[in-house]
Amino acid sequence: MKLTRRDFAAGIVAGLAAPHVITGARAQGATIKIGMCAPVTGPAAESGRYAIQGAKLALEAVNKAGGILGKQAELIVEDDQTTNPGIVLAFSKLAAQSDIVGFLGSIRSTQVHAMAPDVLKLGKPVMIGGTDPNLTHMGNQWLFRFRPNDSYSGRVIAEYGVNTLGKKKWAVLHSTDAFGTAGGKALTAALEKLGSPPVLDQGYANQSQDFTPVVLAIKQSGADILGSYFTFENDLGIFARQLRQLGVNIPWVGSPSIVNITALKLAGPALYNTYGVADYAEDSSEASKAFGKLYRDAVKVAPDNQSSWPYDAVTVLAAAINKAGSTEPAKIREAILSIKKFPGAEGEYNFDQNGDGLHGYNIVKNDKGNIVFDKHIEFND
Amino acid sequence: MDLVLQLLFTGIGIGAVYALVALGFVLIFRATNVVNFAQGEFSMVAAYLMVVFSVDLGWPYWLSFLLALGGMALLGVIFNLGVYYPLRHRTFLPVIIATIGASILLANSVLAIYGPQPQVLQGWFDTPGIQLGPVYLDSQYLLIIAVTIALVFFNYWFFEKTLLGKKLQATSQDKEMASLLGISVSTMIMITFIYSAVLGGLAGILVAPVLFVSIQMGSTIALKAFAATIIGGFGDVAGAIIGGLALGVIETFGAAYISVPYKDGFAFLVLVAFLIFRPQGIFGERVAEKA
Repeated sequence: MKLTRRDFAAGIVAGLAAPHVITGARAQGATIKIGMCAPVTGPAAESGRYAIQGAKLALEAVNKAGGILGKQAELIVEDDQTTNPGIVLAFSKLAAQSDIVGFLGSIRSTQVHAMAPDVLKLGKPVMIGGTDPNLTHMGNQWLFRFRPNDSYSGRVIAEYGVNTLGKKKWAVLHSTDAFGTAGGKALTAALEKLGSPPVLDQGYANQSQDFTPVVLAIKQSGADILGSYFTFENDLGIFARQLRQLGVNIPWVGSPSIVNITALKLAGPALYNTYGVADYAEDSSEASKAFGKLYRDAVKVAPDNQSSWPYDAVTVLAAAINKAGSTEPAKIREAILSIKKFPGAEGEYNFDQNGDGLHGYNIVKNDKGNIVFDKHIEFND
Repeated sequence: MDLVLQLLFTGIGIGAVYALVALGFVLIFRATNVVNFAQGEFSMVAAYLMVVFSVDLGWPYWLSFLLALGGMALLGVIFNLGVYYPLRHRTFLPVIIATIGASILLANSVLAIYGPQPQVLQGWFDTPGIQLGPVYLDSQYLLIIAVTIALVFFNYWFFEKTLLGKKLQATSQDKEMASLLGISVSTMIMITFIYSAVLGGLAGILVAPVLFVSIQMGSTIALKAFAATIIGGFGDVAGAIIGGLALGVIETFGAAYISVPYKDGFAFLVLVAFLIFRPQGIFGERVAEKA
C-alpha cells in the first residue's frame, strides 16, 4: 500500500485531533464528583474507614436511583491523616480539581476550623460532622452540618435529667479541652435556665490516670445526678470504674462518648444503666433503621455516627443538586438550605440559615451493655 | 479522715506505678549514663504482649505473664544491640536521641499492628477490691504496692548480696576499672537492659487492668516516672521508689484539695522546685555531675 501525501496529512490531523475528541467524549459522559477528606491514616483511621463506607453506601443508592443530574456520581477520597495540617493539604488537593462540585469535611471540629478559611476562599459547599456550635456561626456560608451541634446536647442532657428523671442537684464533669469546656458550659447554661444550677462544676485534664479526687468531690457535693462531657474513652472507662468502686450510683447522663463502642468495651458493667445523648440511634426512626440494616449487611459491623453522617451528607448533597438542577455552588447552597423534613439516618433534616440540619438529640440507655433508644428531644429555636 | 485515707491509698498505688518505671530509668542511667526515653514504651509493649497471649490466644494468665516478661527480656537484648551498642563510644546526646527514636518506632509499630483502639486486660484477681471500713482498696493497686515493696528487698539483695549484682554495680561506677578486674562490661550492660526492660514490662502488665492498654499508656507514665527519678535522686534505686511514691501522693492530694485540672502541674512544680533547690534529689548525686 502506497502512502500518499494526502494520507500522511490526514493521519497527522487525526493524530493531533484524537486526544481532544477523546477528552470531549469523556466530558460528555463525565461523572459528578464529590470530594471527601477522611482519616485514612492516623489515630482515627478505623473511624475513617467507617465514614468512607457510609459515604460509599449513600453514593451507591444515589447512582441506583438515577444519579445526580442524570449522571453517575463518583467519590474522590483524600487522606486527612487525622491532623489539622493533613486536612488542609487534603482539601487543597481536592479543591484543585475544578470538576468536584461538593465536599465532605471532618467529624472533628478542630479539623473543620483548620480547613474553614480555604472553604470560604473556594466558595463551594462542604458537608461537616464537627459539633462545635461556632462552626456554623462564624460567617462561613459554605459549611453545612449533618450532626446536631453541642448547644443541643447540653440542652438535651439537662432537659432529660431535670424533666424526665426529676433530678435537680447536678454534678457537671467535663474535659478541660475545647470540646469538654464548650460542652460543660452548654450544660451548665441549660441547667441554670431550668432553675437547677449545678452543685459541682468539675473539669479534668485528658489522659488522667486516676479520678479518685473527682469521684470523692462528686460524693461530697451531694449531687443526685451526673452530667458529663468526656473526650477520650479510656478516661471515661477509668472514671466509670472508680465511680462505681467508690460507691457512687447516682443517675448519669453523658455526651455521645458514653455510648461509644470503645467506651462500652472498656468500662463494661460500670456503665450499665447510664444514659447518653446520641445523634445516631438505630431505633429512633424508619430511616435510621433502614441505614442500620444496609450498613450491617454491607460492612458487617454495628453502625454509629461515624458512618451515618457521611451517608446523610452524600444523600442530601445529591438531592440538593438534583433539586437545584445545577452544579453552581450558590444554587446548591440555596437548595440545601431549603431542605425541610428530609428523613436521614441521623434524624429529620430541617436546615436553618446557619447551615445546621439537625436540632435535637436522641436519648439512649445502656441496658446491660445494649444501647436502647429512649426518646428524641427536638428544639425549634 | 476517711477522705484522707482513701486519697493516701490511691496516691501510694499510682505512685508505686511511677516507682516501678522509675526503677528502669535509674538502672540504665547507672549502667550507661544516659536516660532511656523508651522506658515507658517497654511498659506499653509488655501490656500488648499480655493482650495477645492472654486475650487473643486465650492462654492462661500466668503463662501469658511469663511469656510477656520473656518477650521483654528479648526486647532488652535487641534494644541494647540495636540502639545503645552501636553508639556506646559516642557522647550521651546521640544515645538519648536514639532512645527517643526507638520509643517512636515502638509506639508506631504497635499502632500499625494493633490499631488505635484501647484494649481491656483483666487483673490477677476476680475480686476488683475490698472495702476496709471507709476505705476501698483496689485489688490491682494492692498488688502493685506489694510488688513494689518486694522489688525494694529484691534489688537490695540482688545488688548488695550477689556477685552478679556487685559486678553490675562495679560496671555502673567505673567501667574501665571493672574491665581491668575482668568484668565483661558489655555483658553487664546487656543484663542491665534486659532487667530494665523486664521491670518496665512488669509495670505495664500490672497497671494495664487499671489504665487499660493503649499506645499512649507508656509515655504518660514515663513522664511522671522521669520526674520521680529526679525527685528521688538520679541514679539511686531507693530514691526512684521514694520519688515515685511521693509524686503519686502529692498529685493525688493536690488534685483533691487544690485543683483537679492542674493535677499534672503539681508533679512538675515539685520537679522544678527540686531542680532549683536540691538538684541532686532526695538521695542522689548532683544531676550536673552525672551529666
